Amino acid sequence: MDDQQLLNEGLGLMGFGMGFVFVFLTLLVIATTLMSRAVTRWAPAPVADEAPSRRPPAADDDGELMAVIAAAVHRHRRRHRR
Amino acid sequence: MDRLLSLWQGSGLYNLSPGQAAMIGVGLLLLFLAINKKFEPLLLVPIGFGGILANIPEAGLALSAAEQAVHLGSAALLERFAEVLGVTLDPAAGIESWRHALGDALHAGSAPQALRAADDLAVGAGFNDGMLYSFYSVAIASGVAPLVIFMGVGAMTDFGPLLANPRTLFLGAAAQFGIFATLLGAVGMTTLGWMDFSLEQAAAIGIIGGADGPTSIYVSSLLAPELLGAIAVASYSYMALVPLIQPPIMRALTTARERRIVMTQLRPVSRLEKILFPLVLLLLVVLFLPDAAPLLGMFCFGNLMRESGVVERLSDTAQNALINITTIFLGLSVGSKLQADKFLALETLGILGLGVVAFGIGTACGVLMAKLMNGVSRMPINPLIGSAGVSAVPMAARVSNKVGLDYNPQNFLLMHAMGPNVAGVIGSAVAAGVMIKYLG
Repeated sequence: MDDQQLLNEGLGLMGFGMGFVFVFLTLLVIATTLMSRAVTRWAPAPVADEAPSRRPPAADDDGELMAVIAAAVHRHRRRHRR
Repeated sequence: MDRLLSLWQGSGLYNLSPGQAAMIGVGLLLLFLAINKKFEPLLLVPIGFGGILANIPEAGLALSAAEQAVHLGSAALLERFAEVLGVTLDPAAGIESWRHALGDALHAGSAPQALRAADDLAVGAGFNDGMLYSFYSVAIASGVAPLVIFMGVGAMTDFGPLLANPRTLFLGAAAQFGIFATLLGAVGMTTLGWMDFSLEQAAAIGIIGGADGPTSIYVSSLLAPELLGAIAVASYSYMALVPLIQPPIMRALTTARERRIVMTQLRPVSRLEKILFPLVLLLLVVLFLPDAAPLLGMFCFGNLMRESGVVERLSDTAQNALINITTIFLGLSVGSKLQADKFLALETLGILGLGVVAFGIGTACGVLMAKLMNGVSRMPINPLIGSAGVSAVPMAARVSNKVGLDYNPQNFLLMHAMGPNVAGVIGSAVAAGVMIKYLG
């Protein structure tokens, strides 16, 4: 193969290949997003059923716990810096 | 005295060529890197050892039956080979140059029927394929080993982070630019007259930039089997070097403020989504890129076994026992391609050089793409996760996490980086499919 021709083929393959990878993964993003939406809409079964009963108290606890931990860490750091 | 002489002439020391000695040195170096420096030991130990075995003089472990017959056979047998292969032997030239001429005819420029006839002749004369040659034909030439490994990788992969944030797939796509830029680099070197790569060889070299060992072995076994040894060694060595190659590029392309960006917590992903994802991916492959079906098909199959949760035993085998067995034979087979006369060439240096460039460009494009996405999307994206778009699972994601922690000790990017990381695996398999489609 001629050098110039080889270079052109290389450029062509690069454009074609990179373009195709992007198109394919874009389609995959769209398909995945649609799939996720469909699943959360029509079959949210276990996650949605448990969520209302369990989550709110857990979140409260977490907030309190985080505050206590943050305070403790803060104090520990201050003590050790000196 | 005669017997002593024949013993000496049959010894390895008498027959050792400088090239073989150098390749045994290379094999020992790979073992040293694997054992002492912990560079991808699971692969470099079998590859290094296979490389040493392949270069044992006179043992011919990596040679086919015909090659062995040409190397060791009597003058009468050589004449029959010459007949089959259509080579004229100069009676005055002596047996050594006959062997040389016939060896060249076997490697290149003979019709497939002639090669098959030569093989039959060799087997008829009592020669057998070398052990490593048999491993190579079963494991790599057939394409089986890389695909089985891909199935195991699929069974080990959790697509949760990717499903929670599907846009990270773009990062995996951007990082594949390394593959195509390297292809162009290899073609450019040929144009400049530095090296002599065909387009197929350039494509196989480019796949190193995908940072995915099984994919690069699969592609080079199809497009450029003669470069497989160098490509596999480059691919696995650079994967081990990811923690050294990537961070400087990541730092150079981002500002300290960008590196401190905290990303929002990923949403929980339901089991049904995880089960459906491999099927969605497979459907797209069926519709748009059947050439990637071997790689992505096995990958999806492995992942479905994992996520379906009903074939725990199969999934466990694919992730552990089977992938380990396959790795042993894959490594030894790659080692068989480290024969002195094929590996010690200027091209190998070119491949090693291009491999680093491929990694660098892939990393840079991933980071730049992440910066772009951070600019346009409402959800903050830390550009450091872009570098994980080159596959190298999970090493590249760990590197993103580590660099992120250096700038904000509370910012754990690991799960966010796993998304682009597995997207990179899909991206490089798609790129491989395109190459095979275009050139196969």
